Amino acid sequence: MRECKIVSSRFHLKGSHTFRVAKENGVYKSLEKVKGYIPLEIIEIIKESGLRGKGGGGAFAGEKWALMPQNSTKPSFLVVNCDESEPGTFKDRQIISQDPHLLIEGILITCYAIKARHAYIYIRGEYKPFQDILQGAIDEAYQEGLLDTCDITIHRGAGAYICGEKSALLESLEGKRGHPRLKPKQKEPEWFFGNPTLVNNVETIATVPFILENGADAYKAFGTQKSAGTLLFAMSGHINRAGVYEAEFGTPMMEYINYFGGGIKNGKKLKAIIPGGASTPILTAEEVSKATLDYETMRSLGSALGTGGMIVMDEDTCMVEVLKNLLEFYHEESCGQCTPCREGTGWTDKLVGKILNKEGTKKDIDKLLEVATTMNGKTICVFAPAVSGVITAFLTKFRDEFEVKL
Amino acid sequence: MSEMIDIVVDNKTYKAKEGSLLIDLLIKEKIKVPYFCYHEALGADGNCRMCMVEIEGQKRPQISCDTFIKANMKVHSTGNNIEKVRRDILELELINHPVDCPVCDQAGECSLQDFYMDYGLHNSEVLIQEKIKHTKHIDLGANVILDQERCVLCARCTRFTEKITKTHELGIIGRGDEARVSTMPHRKLHNPYAMNVVDLCPVGALTSKDFRFSQRVWFLQTVNSICHGCAKGCNIFIDHNKIKYKDDLIYRFRPRRNDEVNGFFMCDEGRLSYKALQDNRQEVTLLNAKAITEEEALLEAKRLIEEYENNISVVIDANLYTQEIEAILEFSKKIGASAYAPLEVYYDENFKDDMLKSANRGANSQTIELLTIDTSTPKESGLVINFNHPDTFNSETVINFLTHKKALNSLIFPMAVFTENTGTLRNEEGIVQHCEQAIFKNTPIPTLIETVKKIQL
Amino acid sequence: MSFHFSEENILKINALKKRYPSSKSLSLPCLWMVQYQEGYISLDAMDTISKIIDMPSMEIYRVATFYSMFRLSSSDKLTISLCKTLSCKLCGSDKILKHLKEKEVNIELVECLGSCGTAPVMQINDTFYENLTLETVDKILEELE
Repeated sequence: MRECKIVSSRFHLKGSHTFRVAKENGVYKSLEKVKGYIPLEIIEIIKESGLRGKGGGGAFAGEKWALMPQNSTKPSFLVVNCDESEPGTFKDRQIISQDPHLLIEGILITCYAIKARHAYIYIRGEYKPFQDILQGAIDEAYQEGLLDTCDITIHRGAGAYICGEKSALLESLEGKRGHPRLKPKQKEPEWFFGNPTLVNNVETIATVPFILENGADAYKAFGTQKSAGTLLFAMSGHINRAGVYEAEFGTPMMEYINYFGGGIKNGKKLKAIIPGGASTPILTAEEVSKATLDYETMRSLGSALGTGGMIVMDEDTCMVEVLKNLLEFYHEESCGQCTPCREGTGWTDKLVGKILNKEGTKKDIDKLLEVATTMNGKTICVFAPAVSGVITAFLTKFRDEFEVKL
Repeated sequence: MSEMIDIVVDNKTYKAKEGSLLIDLLIKEKIKVPYFCYHEALGADGNCRMCMVEIEGQKRPQISCDTFIKANMKVHSTGNNIEKVRRDILELELINHPVDCPVCDQAGECSLQDFYMDYGLHNSEVLIQEKIKHTKHIDLGANVILDQERCVLCARCTRFTEKITKTHELGIIGRGDEARVSTMPHRKLHNPYAMNVVDLCPVGALTSKDFRFSQRVWFLQTVNSICHGCAKGCNIFIDHNKIKYKDDLIYRFRPRRNDEVNGFFMCDEGRLSYKALQDNRQEVTLLNAKAITEEEALLEAKRLIEEYENNISVVIDANLYTQEIEAILEFSKKIGASAYAPLEVYYDENFKDDMLKSANRGANSQTIELLTIDTSTPKESGLVINFNHPDTFNSETVINFLTHKKALNSLIFPMAVFTENTGTLRNEEGIVQHCEQAIFKNTPIPTLIETVKKIQL
Repeated sequence: MSFHFSEENILKINALKKRYPSSKSLSLPCLWMVQYQEGYISLDAMDTISKIIDMPSMEIYRVATFYSMFRLSSSDKLTISLCKTLSCKLCGSDKILKHLKEKEVNIELVECLGSCGTAPVMQINDTFYENLTLETVDKILEELE
């Protein structure tokens, strides 16, 4: 385990959120370098670095940036996704409250590369205290004349997990309900009032200054071949030192848990970990022992890296209760637009509730798996497929716990 | 750019415009595909997920309402895979749907019922006790009743008030499976086309207060006709039935699609105009407000016509069929009368809007114009023979042909309304449209053509 | 009966309008302003917003009912948003809930507040209260009286 402080290098400093302290410690240095490049060159550097989106999807950032038109008659926009509502995830809040100027620096570079003159930061409604810190930093940046070529506006959400989905986010930014949009058949930018728009996660943008300052190779020096760089991984649940700790991709999961997390609380044994926020399929302790924290390995284990927010569960945890808790979350957060998700999230929640109350039958378990299939691949967005994956993982790996309750 | 290309659906080749919607082709070629939320007037919403088809080369089934026709596309609308997908999605539509069929007006013309019979036939296997509860029979105003539990959230009604009438009374509120259609609290549905949402609703969530509980639709018989409310000439279906011991009655008008005239909709006033047609009818011949026999009436008419020779005006209602107008003109010529068809009374600027409603409430006034009948006020005459024109006339004597009762002492002949007769009329754009006879009364009221023929001159 | 924005809020709205391609984006910012100004969002307020941002009242009502943080009715008691999602549950949110039920407060069970590392967590108005124990809960409620 080696130290990797790409986005968290100033977190420990007192007053790190202020312009004065951040500037003394290196913020905005990369802007000098950026002036020497044309926008397309910046996009090439980002592509070269292998930077992947840190909002849960892991799509290559450079490819997304390249979809933005360089010569549009319409204005281009950047939208920074700070809706961070995936259970187990609390990393973006660290950036905006402890090093907001780093984010602003990243926004300036990105806007230059995609020729945008306005960036919106969509922040979840519950994060008001951190929004205030971020706004303070933005005000400072305006005062320092840093935002002459690019405006930054914070747009506050109001309690809807689905607004973290990028098309739902844009609907919300356009003043409407957060209904995900039907997906286009070809690769194209996102659209904000019909204008080409790039949507990226906070941490993704916060990583950009390092890459521009130190070069694509410096970023690739961390992580694995296909998953370059670092992520603000997190741990919560039955772990001794819960929190956010930056580490490079490829770190073995158990090593991470022990080194940063200090092992399982109360000396218990590990039972399972949800590796990347609630929407990633759960891993048994055995799978955890084989897992490394990168996109490919997680995929090969039938799960996903997601946001890297690990939820740790000890040997006393009842998996039926855990699944019920998660399905209640999805039931509450479904936007309700399309049939399989709206009805499926409610139905599966109730079925697991029935099993939890010892009123379940084998038919209920079969039905759960059936509904999970119907929710997969037939909806407007990936919310329902994620729920489907969650249900299937629990029923496959911990079926005995469900059957015991029948 | 949109040229006609070949695509294959279920191993048959069809021609379609490149870039057009796949679902439009499926509908046009009558390839059965279920759907709730798509509607040609409202566009696609992609929320019901029922219209899924398999497209070769695509991993997952695609909704045909969001698929654009490309060259060499190969589509499968049937097959085990896609049939299972449909059944599963249908099952999810059904789990919270109340089993109201025995008391729901939509039964017999309900998409959910039809799709269940065509694609579902599931055993009832909800496995949980509680269906989701919402509010039932909410009076939205404008003769529309909402049952939130029956709603499949296809958003057709909300898109109608958003895109077509632009009045925004209806919307889907809440989130997830708490989502439901509603108006704002204490506000009502209030626009001249509100009742179209009843037709648009694929299930019994939106029903007509006017039609509520009055007929089971499988007893209704349907004919094609034209609304006579104004010169727009919206195409309609007339639904009627003759219940035992009652007369053949119209139970509702529904709009009939005509892309050249009214599109998919009609105004509420026109829709409800069937009621006045059947109410308060003039059914017998009268003189001085007393009933007389038809023979007596015909003789009196003949006598009056001979008495007022050369001093007769004939007045024609602009809502008559072309065939009736022509018969009257012939009759008028025969008796040496001057023919008039005053049109001013039909003009109502307040009725007009920028959708379907015309300021001209004379349904067949275009024919009047075309036949160059004098549209000014009839000059004073000894005898006026009025064929159902709404004005009253100053003259010594009047013979009235009336569809509806009026407190007059003149000689009165009853006459059939348009629903009791066939004929054609021209709308304000000159389009000739045909009406089938809907009603066959137990005691038929003669058409004016029949009566006029009987006057022995 | 009728709702009016404060002078300060009107200035804020006018400044915000310049930052978006369409005034329709201001639906959420305006709804928040109403909620902070009045404590909840009335239909009158929605009609007012409707005129300012040129969006039908029904659309504003739809937006207000979609997002869980908007309050459409007023309340006298203190409202506590207690996180019920997995990490907090694993760290004992049930015990905190049981304890809170004995108090004179509105308890709103909310989904993940993004504070999983310091679970269990509750939010009162905009402030986070983390690493909760029964004792700290009592202390917090006392201070808020």
